[in-house]
Amino acid sequence: MAINDDLLAPEVVADPYTYFAQIREEDPVHWNQRWKGWLVTRYEDVVGVLRDYERFSSDRMASLILELQPEDRDRLSLLINYFSKWLVFTDPPYHTRVRMLINKAFTPTAVERLRPRIRQIIDQLLSAVAAKRHMEFIKEFAFQLPVIVISEYMGVPPEDREKVKEWSDETSRVFFIRADEPDRRERSQRGLQHLLEYFEPLVHERRLHPRDDLISALVQAEERGDLLSHEEVLATCTVLIFAGHETTTNLLANGVVALMEHRDQWDLLRENPQLVRPAVEELLRYDGPVKATFRWVKEETELGGKHLREGDRMLAVLAAANRDPEKFPQPDALDITRNPNPHVAFGHGIHICLGAPLARLEAQEAFLALTQRFPSLRLADRPREYHRTIVARALKELWVEW
Amino acid sequence: MGRRLRITVDYDRCVGSRICILTAPGVFRENENLQSAVRDPAGEPEEVVLEAARGCPQMAIRVEDAETGEVLFPPPELA
Repeated sequence: MAINDDLLAPEVVADPYTYFAQIREEDPVHWNQRWKGWLVTRYEDVVGVLRDYERFSSDRMASLILELQPEDRDRLSLLINYFSKWLVFTDPPYHTRVRMLINKAFTPTAVERLRPRIRQIIDQLLSAVAAKRHMEFIKEFAFQLPVIVISEYMGVPPEDREKVKEWSDETSRVFFIRADEPDRRERSQRGLQHLLEYFEPLVHERRLHPRDDLISALVQAEERGDLLSHEEVLATCTVLIFAGHETTTNLLANGVVALMEHRDQWDLLRENPQLVRPAVEELLRYDGPVKATFRWVKEETELGGKHLREGDRMLAVLAAANRDPEKFPQPDALDITRNPNPHVAFGHGIHICLGAPLARLEAQEAFLALTQRFPSLRLADRPREYHRTIVARALKELWVEW
Repeated sequence: MGRRLRITVDYDRCVGSRICILTAPGVFRENENLQSAVRDPAGEPEEVVLEAARGCPQMAIRVEDAETGEVLFPPPELA
């Protein structure tokens, strides 16, 4: 069967693993004629590309600017200006400078001190729904937890969370490539503008009255010298709040589906809570929140026997690498005891997810609490539908009962 | 003179973030796989080595007292 180049076909959105397995087997570095870019699917190639930041750029704005007409460039100048300061879209040396400044706030050691508070939030969220014996898992739990955690860590007050979520969702439109949205760039810019206007006074306030939160830390870095400019502080606030929203939600939701569909693994975790660390790594590998990540070819090169030209875009398909039988024995089996588990769900190389230690911590505590408090958890008999995006592996709703 | 350290990198975990190389360039270098390798365990003061180990998002670095085997990083609650 010929490879179908429609990355948003219903069967691809529903089950990307079967689709990417075909590409990995038949044409592992595949030119997608419809999307006009390369799909890299073997583990070894994905890791090789993501480690080689000199040859494979993350500078998304450079390519966006080339795609746009001059009048669009003017119209979208705010978006371009701030996105070009987002860590995910930058290369060294800028990326190195900003990453090293904020990395300290997200190391495993630094986030460990949030564990008691994370436990408390989880306990409150689960207590609120326990008696009704069912919930829409995303809205009532998987979305709430990471948003409360990142909002508190950043110093966003509870009453502002809802509007910040809306702006963050709007901002995301430009790069999650949801289908059928011709005005997504404009909507994205409007969302970003709201976020910037929101954070401006917050940043100002923390400059006058620093607290023990992330914005204060960013502002103090700014004041220690020319380490972070005012625009860089604002850009970093928006990227952190944005990154803290959708991804962990999907890790939790996809993880519940995986465990419910492999009841033996759920029971194994319930009876052996000490397995929670490897269990979360396996859930990340098996059905992680991000299917693929973008890169741009900076200089002509060969990969998997294909000739890549300067300026070509590519998707490093994490979901394909994580199921590569050359790297993982029985890749399509969920095995919460899998060790080692060098999955690439958080990416790889210099752009490895900054929030990975925090996401791991939240997921570990969430799955511990769920298995202990709701041992009879099961999926409700409702159809499950994923958002039509290339990048995110995101359920629209997830109904569960216990 | 500080105590002698034994520093090891777990290659199932190291993703080539380069954070240790940037934090402690006297101790860590890039290898041919674009992952981190130990250049010289005595290349930086102990506190800088521990900062590099703590900075690793993957907890791929283990630091021990070379004489006694005492684990200096990661601490038991993170291991």
